[in-house]
Formats: sequence, C-alpha cells, structure tokens
Amino acid sequence: MSGKPAVTTEKIFFREAISRAMREEMRSNDRIFIIGQDVGAFGGSYREFDGLFGEFGATRVRDTPVAEAAMIGVGVGAAAAGCRPLVSITYMDFMMLGFDPLINYGAKLRYKTGGQLTAPVVVKTTAGAKGQGVAHSQCIESWLMSVPGLKVVAPSNPADAYGLLKAALREDGPVVFIDHKRLFPVAGEVPLAETMVPIGHARVCRAGTDLTITTHSFMTRVALEAAKLLQADGISAEIIDLRTLAPLDMRTIADSARRTGALLTLEEGQVTCGVGLEVIGRVHELLGPIPSARLGALPAPVSSNRVLEAACLPDADRVMNAAKMLLEQPGRPARRRIADFVSDRQ
Amino acid sequence: MTVLERTRMLRSMMLIRAFEEALARRKDHGFQLLSSGEEAVAVGLCSALTSRDQLLTGGRSIGPALARGLAPERVMAELLGRSSGTNRGKGGRGHLADPRAGFFGAHAVVGGNISIAVGVALSMQMSGSNGVVAILFGDGASGVGALHESLNIAAIWNLPVLFVCNNNQFSVSTPRSAALAPGKLSDIGLAFKMPSRTIDGMDVEHVAGVAGEAVEKIRAGSGPQFLECISHRFCSHSTTARETRSRDELASIRSLCPIERHVKGLRAAGILDSESEMKLENEVTEIVAAALAFADASEFPAPTEALTDVW
Repeated sequence: MSGKPAVTTEKIFFREAISRAMREEMRSNDRIFIIGQDVGAFGGSYREFDGLFGEFGATRVRDTPVAEAAMIGVGVGAAAAGCRPLVSITYMDFMMLGFDPLINYGAKLRYKTGGQLTAPVVVKTTAGAKGQGVAHSQCIESWLMSVPGLKVVAPSNPADAYGLLKAALREDGPVVFIDHKRLFPVAGEVPLAETMVPIGHARVCRAGTDLTITTHSFMTRVALEAAKLLQADGISAEIIDLRTLAPLDMRTIADSARRTGALLTLEEGQVTCGVGLEVIGRVHELLGPIPSARLGALPAPVSSNRVLEAACLPDADRVMNAAKMLLEQPGRPARRRIADFVSDRQ
Repeated sequence: MTVLERTRMLRSMMLIRAFEEALARRKDHGFQLLSSGEEAVAVGLCSALTSRDQLLTGGRSIGPALARGLAPERVMAELLGRSSGTNRGKGGRGHLADPRAGFFGAHAVVGGNISIAVGVALSMQMSGSNGVVAILFGDGASGVGALHESLNIAAIWNLPVLFVCNNNQFSVSTPRSAALAPGKLSDIGLAFKMPSRTIDGMDVEHVAGVAGEAVEKIRAGSGPQFLECISHRFCSHSTTARETRSRDELASIRSLCPIERHVKGLRAAGILDSESEMKLENEVTEIVAAALAFADASEFPAPTEALTDVW
C-alpha cells in the first residue's frame, strides 16, 4: 500500500466546471436543453458549453437569434410545459430585455396557478466588468433578489459553479445563475464524484475574528486578497462567500457577524439597494446594530476605458481601507465615502 | 360541420354572453375584462382544438376559457376570488388556468404570453407529442416586440403554433388605426413566411373552418400560421373603463352580433327554431346561476395562502 492519498478532485477551469455540470445533467435527464446565442458549435462566448453540441446535437443545444425577451419567454414556457431548459443570456445587462417573462410569468407561475404549474428554468448569465463598457459590465443581481419565487446564485470558484449549476438544474422553480467574465479563466479543484452544492448555503471561505466580510462571485477573490493585506496589519477578516443571494443564508452570515462584531459588505454592483444593504439590514434585524459598512462600485456607469473601469470598481486596497475604517469607528457606521478612498490613492 | 357542432357553437357563445353579463352585474370583483362581441373568435378557435392541444390567451380570457370547456362554476369562483376557483382564487382576472383541460392559461401582461406559448410548443415538439398550441392575443399585443421575436423563433424552428390575433380594433381607447402600421395585421405573419390570413371574426363557422384547416396543417408538421380575426368589442375595455365610442357607433357595432348572426344561419338551415333557441337560453341561464351559487357558497382563501406556492 502506498501512502499516497486517493485523488478525489480534479483541477479544472471555471468554464469547464459549467460544461461538466451541463454534460452530467443532460446525460441523466433528457428534458434538459440549452438555448442561447452562439451556444452550439461555437460553444458559448466563453467556451463554457464546449463539447455539448457535439454530444447532444442541435435539438438540445439550440442557437437562437438575438431576442432575449423571447429566449427567456420560450425557456420559461417550455419549463412550464415539462422541460428543464437552461437559457444562456450572454451578458447580465441583456437580462433586462427578458425580465417580463422571467419575473411577471416565471417567478409567479406557481403562485398564480394555485400550484398547477411551475417553471423549472435556469437563466445563466455573465456579469461583471472586463473592458466591455457601460452596457456589458453590470452586476444587477440585487434587482432580482426582491422577486418572490426567484432564486439567485452567483458562485466564485469552479467547484461551486459545478455544484450550484447541478442543483439549479434540479430546482422546481426558476433560478438565475450568475457567472463572471473574470472567473472563466480561473482554475480550481472540483470533486471527481458527482456532487451538488445546495442552494441557500453560504460558505465561510476564510476564518477570522475581527470583522466579517460578505461578498460573492468575482469579488470573493478580491476579498481574499484584501484579507491577506489586513492580516499583515494584524487584522483578522472572516470572508463569507454568499454563493446564493436569494434566499440568503442568514444563519451563516449572522453567526459570523455575531462572533466578529463588525460587518463589511462587498459587491461589484451598486451599493444603493444592493446585496450588501440587504445583508446589513437583515443582520441588524437579527443582532441589533453592529458596526457595518458597504463597499461596491462608484455610483457611475462602468466604462470600457481601463482607467475609468478601475476607478469604478472595488479592489483589495479599497476593501482593506474600508475594513480599517470600519474597525476604527466602533459602534458607528463608516462616515467616509468610497470616493475618499479613490482620492487617497491618487 | 355537423348539426351538433353548429348547435354547440351557438350554446357556447350564449354561455359566454350570459356568464359575462351576470358577472358584470356583480360589484364584488374589482373589474372584469369582457369579450361580448368577440365570442365567435374564441368559440370558433376552440372548436378546432382537441384535448392534446393547449390554448394560451391574453388577459381578456373569460370567453376563451369557457369556450375551451372549463367548468363555469370554477371560472366564476376564480373571478370572484374563491379558493374553489381554477387557480385556488390566487390568479383571478387575467390569469385563469386549467392546463389539464387544455387551457394552459391567460396572462394579463399584454403580449406577455406569446413567447410562453412558443415555449409550450417547443416542449411539445421536443417530446414528440402531436399537440398544437394556439395563442390568442389582441391587436394591442401586435405592437409588442415579443410578438415579433416569437414569430421569428416559431418560424425558424417550425413549431406547432397557431398565432391568433383577435383584432377587436381597440387597445383600451386607442384605435388600431392609430397604433399599428401594417395594412393587415396578418401581414406581420407574412414577414416571417408563415401562412397568414385575415378573416371575419364575427362569423363563428368561418372562424371554425379556417382555424380547423390551420390546426390540421400545423399538426401535420407544416409549421406555424398566423390568423387575424376582425371582431368588435361591444363593451368598454373593462367594466370600470370609460366608453369612448358614441352611442350611434356602438349601436351599429352591436348590430353585428355574432350570436344573432349564427342564430339566423341556424334558423335558415332549419336547425334551430324559437323553441330550441329558448331551450338553449334556459340552459345557459341555469348554468350561470349555478356557477354564481357555487362561487358564493365557496370560501375566500385563508390569509395564510398569501405565502403558499410562492417558491
């Protein structure tokens, strides 16, 4: 017997985690199919559907015209009639064109029909800034969090992308699955065995004692980077990757905030009515007021100009500064604005 | 068309008219979207559908739901908010649904059900069922972008859908002539290379015949079709909306009543006399009275129902 531990994971790219989850689920359930722009032979804008067209053919991996309203509507309608489609919306900005069938119909279908129909559709979309400009960079996930009947997930690593997509494809109602342009080239260990990551569970991805930072998607990586910077200054940050935005895992979040006594929220989208504000509001409802602060994009469009894009978005330094400021003012919310951090850096 | 079928269509139209008139007399439903004057479109279309097929509609859905054969008492209960309704009282006006009866449902966002219908058709095509989906929408929905996106997708994928535009010529108060550029609304279907026709929607037998031919071809796999039925809305947009047409205009429109027209046809053919017509009148009156009694005897949903079937 060799002392070598058994290999239980494989290192794959984020985009490969998506195609693997799709392949496994499509093999086991022939009601699952994909519709979207350039999802067929092209393999998806980020090659996240590579190989699926070859294996499942044009019937189950369907290229569509540019028609987001009908793409989501057709997906929702097919789901209501017994299929399990995944609709790929290339960029999250374009989901606005399909909100009507998703929100007015899909999310309400089970309720409005008195339980006769449900719409088990997954809308997969790509958020985030990577030089694509004002209408191809937005993170509008917080808009979706207030829709009763709609679940929202946003993984930060290949393992969670794999597990959450499999879970989403087995849900009874609509799920929005949000990935991120900067995550596709990221590699990570994914279990070799078929597993799922249950929807509704956050993950403490770094333990800490001085403050809690909640975040999701690509910003989880930024938070982890910031935690290293903070550690060098003797500050111990606990990082929670929310993973599911609706429903929020308030137990994990509140347990952490109770232990550390301070809460910083981090997102790439807007802080106004953002994910972080919802997290802080609910933590305060559960624990009473604790020092809290939000960090997100500046209140401005995100330009394709790389100087302006970088100026808009949180990075590890800004997270570090926001954390320090929060801890310097115990019992009071941070008073300075993100713009101040920008001027600090100039 | 058999004598029985022709008589059934009359009875169905009479039921819709009596049902809607009885409902309109009630004041405990907020408001309703009535289809008096448009019965021939719903009844003619539904005569072409079988139990394998599904019908989806816009919000003006009472006529189509009854024409599809939904239990009148459950429709009435739904519209009056009772838990014995088709949707347990939770959908209400504009959202009637009974998919097991072939009525996949109404959806009250104008144009919002069209892409959904195409999805239902895709599901049928992929599962190898030989069902057909009919989507009924108004002229008001004909300017909605989702219609054009949906027609395109249905055409390129050769889906089993019959697009039926019930052109009652008004979008609330805005006349079709002021709202839509195409000469005929069926021209919209032609742009997507599907067989498209504009017909008289006040003639139930004609609607039934044309819809029947279309459904047969679609079922055989020939792809989607577009049917525009010109009709007239006898009432204002809703039971609480202002009427914008003059009395003279309304009187002349009402003279085109599809029920009276069908009665005349059946009488001329010797199928109907005043006795049998009276018998049908009595039947539908009794059905509507029983539907109201059923609804009134039913409970409203418990407040806790607000949180069931959400997720």
